[in-house]
Amino acid sequence: MAKGKLLLIPLALALMFAIKPYYGGEIQIRLNEPTSFNLNTANYSNLIFYSLIYENFFYLKKDGEIFSNVFQEYRYDAANKTLILTVKNNLSFSNGRPLTAKNIQVSLKIFMDLDLFASSKLSQAVKNVRVSDNQVAIELLADNPDILDLLTAPELVVLAENEQSFSGLFYPQEWEKSHHLTLKNNPFYAGGRAYLDTVRITFAESQLPDLFLSSPNQFKENFQEFDSGIFQNIYLCFLQSDVGQNTKIALFTLLKRFNEASGFKYRELRTLTSEEESPVSIQIKTFSPQKTTSILKSSDIKLYILASLSNLEKDLSAFLKSSNLKIETLFIDDSQFMGFLNSAAIKFVLIDKIFQKKIPAEEKISRILKESSFNQFNAGYLRMLSELDEVKFSNNQELLMEQIARISEAIINDGFIFPLFQKNYSLYIRKSWPAMEIDYYGRPLLQKVSKTND
Amino acid sequence: MKKVIGSLLLLLLFGSPCIGQQGADALVAESTAFLSAFFKNRFDVRVAVIRFENNSELTDTAMQKIYQTLISRLEGEKNIIVSDLLVNFAGGRGEFNLGRVDELQYLLDLKLIQNKSKTGLGLTVFSRLQDKIVAVKYFEKALGKGEMEYLNTRNFAFSELGFSKLLEFESKKNLMDVQSISGGEGQDQYFFYYPDEIIVYLAREMRLEKYSQFKLEWTRPVYPVLHYEGRLLLLPTSQGLVLTAGNNFSSTAKVMALRDGQWQEIQKIDFVPRQHLVLNQNPYLVGTRYDEGRNYLKDKIYFLPFSDPANQSGIYEKKIIPAMAIDFSVREGQLQAVHLIDRDYHYHLFNSEFEEMLPAPEKKGASLAALGGEWLAVSDYSRATDQLFIYDIQNGGQRPVYTGKISGEIQFISAGVWQKVKGFWTGVRQKQDDLERFVVQFWGKRDG
Repeated sequence: MAKGKLLLIPLALALMFAIKPYYGGEIQIRLNEPTSFNLNTANYSNLIFYSLIYENFFYLKKDGEIFSNVFQEYRYDAANKTLILTVKNNLSFSNGRPLTAKNIQVSLKIFMDLDLFASSKLSQAVKNVRVSDNQVAIELLADNPDILDLLTAPELVVLAENEQSFSGLFYPQEWEKSHHLTLKNNPFYAGGRAYLDTVRITFAESQLPDLFLSSPNQFKENFQEFDSGIFQNIYLCFLQSDVGQNTKIALFTLLKRFNEASGFKYRELRTLTSEEESPVSIQIKTFSPQKTTSILKSSDIKLYILASLSNLEKDLSAFLKSSNLKIETLFIDDSQFMGFLNSAAIKFVLIDKIFQKKIPAEEKISRILKESSFNQFNAGYLRMLSELDEVKFSNNQELLMEQIARISEAIINDGFIFPLFQKNYSLYIRKSWPAMEIDYYGRPLLQKVSKTND
Repeated sequence: MKKVIGSLLLLLLFGSPCIGQQGADALVAESTAFLSAFFKNRFDVRVAVIRFENNSELTDTAMQKIYQTLISRLEGEKNIIVSDLLVNFAGGRGEFNLGRVDELQYLLDLKLIQNKSKTGLGLTVFSRLQDKIVAVKYFEKALGKGEMEYLNTRNFAFSELGFSKLLEFESKKNLMDVQSISGGEGQDQYFFYYPDEIIVYLAREMRLEKYSQFKLEWTRPVYPVLHYEGRLLLLPTSQGLVLTAGNNFSSTAKVMALRDGQWQEIQKIDFVPRQHLVLNQNPYLVGTRYDEGRNYLKDKIYFLPFSDPANQSGIYEKKIIPAMAIDFSVREGQLQAVHLIDRDYHYHLFNSEFEEMLPAPEKKGASLAALGGEWLAVSDYSRATDQLFIYDIQNGGQRPVYTGKISGEIQFISAGVWQKVKGFWTGVRQKQDDLERFVVQFWGKRDG
């Protein structure tokens, strides 16, 4: 693979320096089918999909460079503890409606209200957000020259008031459910119109498209593999305190058996983050098949599953049906789930989280605690997070590991989350598509991808 | 492919004795002598080669040389007016601009034939007025291996006699066009068109001094681009100097007039004006539209009557093909031909009636410009360094006269004037490591 990359570098440079580039053509990408066009970056597939139709405030390249297509200037005024973003003139959404500083302000507020770790980090730092003409002033509570780093979160995107307007490189043109989705290039894209005309998103695994996600070290021929550094963890969560320990472990055991029955598509996960970085290993002893069945046979379980795991639907339903247990699976969109949380008695949820390897372990554990404890988040956890922050600044690696271990143990002992599986992803790109860049979050940057016509 | 003119031709033109009456030269000399004798009792006979086929061992390059030699010899005949209609040589056949056949009296059909060790030249004379063949002649000569090799070799005209780079300087990025006009007191003004402003310079010896600048405010809808493209046109009118500025990121072009020393927008036009033409004795602005936010032109040419810059009625359009670049060769205000590079980088020639000549088979770069009805400049289809090909198009054909190597990639070519010398402005993007610079060059003939 390294050799392949080396060969591609001169080709990419040559193309950058060629005759006028060719506009037109289509790229085929295989992703999981989204549930809607409402932003939902819960898994790697979604992270890619929504990056095509929503424009990020800022992009973070692999080499750490930060850039923006929306702002013509951004500067930090240390004296006033304010970050000033100047929006480019005459920008429009995909339907031609103006994209203004007001849209930026509203989008920023929506992001800060999300129940995400990155959102709460930003909202804790921001005092207020003001708009004047084409400028957005983000006033901070404390001096923080690195505030821009917080604005590179993939969930921080430019949203329109209208659901049919998109700020991204492409906008949805046609959706044939369960089959494909066609995206058309956005003529008003803030960074300059893409070379490609269309992106065809396919959902079926029948033939290999130009770009897709899969396990590492496959498809050596014809494809370039990008180690995205992205891994997906799947957890079983228990949202009510009245669920018995035996039921928890029986359901956990059943899901482990499902993975085994479907050919170990996922790796066993015995930590909250990943084996390499976790100071603690979690051993949950599973039951025998007979005991599992006897515990669950009298239960009437509704297992809620986040829509980002909808690729499991077919196999899991078939497995549960064959087990003759009364377990109903309900796939639910993230946004609906959060609304549902306080109104219905949801007890069992299967969730997933994606992480970038390079993100520090303390940030990952904070995210799990903040985003996966749902209605069980309490003052104790808040205190642990504050302590973690303090330890972070002490620059003492040993203390940091101790605190991470303490939080992990607390989470497991409280019994609301059991780690189940893990999967690493590589991004595969057909070699006939040169000059493809991947950002820090493993998303392909398609703007300057051009189909050669010679 | 007709990229070069043989030095053989130049040597013959300037009477060099070193070649002598060798095979190819003798073939051409005998053909010319035959035609001279055939037309000796006629005056101002209008003649052109309209077909030239090759069945010999010679290449297209050698065909070029033989053809050019014949044309230059015929040009030396007092009673013959020869038109050079050759557009291209490819695959053993010449392609000719037949749009001008009506102006001719005699048409020549040439064929090169290999006969064992000898090369023959068949010559057929067709009288267009009598509508019949009036003469057939065949000449045969032995061409030595060395001569064949020499004929088959590509070589170039002397740069000192052709176009050369007269000026080069660095500009800020995204320059889209350069145009000039004679200002008051005989001083030329040079307009540099950037996406957000136009800067006017005056020439001081071999450098430019900034004279004025004015901002261009574009209004929604604006289509952000990866590559800026645009065209500026300067039009002296009875109401003073008017300019038009169009591009690939705004759906309308601006018409601006100089009023009280300030440039003011007086009109918007729905296409990008590229040329001021006289058609049926009426002045027109002629232009095209870019595909919004992209680097190519849509498939229509627009004609707007332009007696009053503020009036926009009576516009009509003609269908053509989508193009990377387009320009019009014009003589005394009249359209001669339309030159175009299509989206597959092939060159196309259309006559003034918009009838298409055969497209060239090989690829070209994506920039071109015509200088009046005299010269055509085209960039190269290259991946690393560019070239500027300059053709003589005065007779309706395309005779390559010069090729200039260019370090970098040509972004645009515009016909223009530098210090009274006619030629071409080129905008060139150069990139080395991570450093990118934009260079402006002027290519002209030193003898003006």
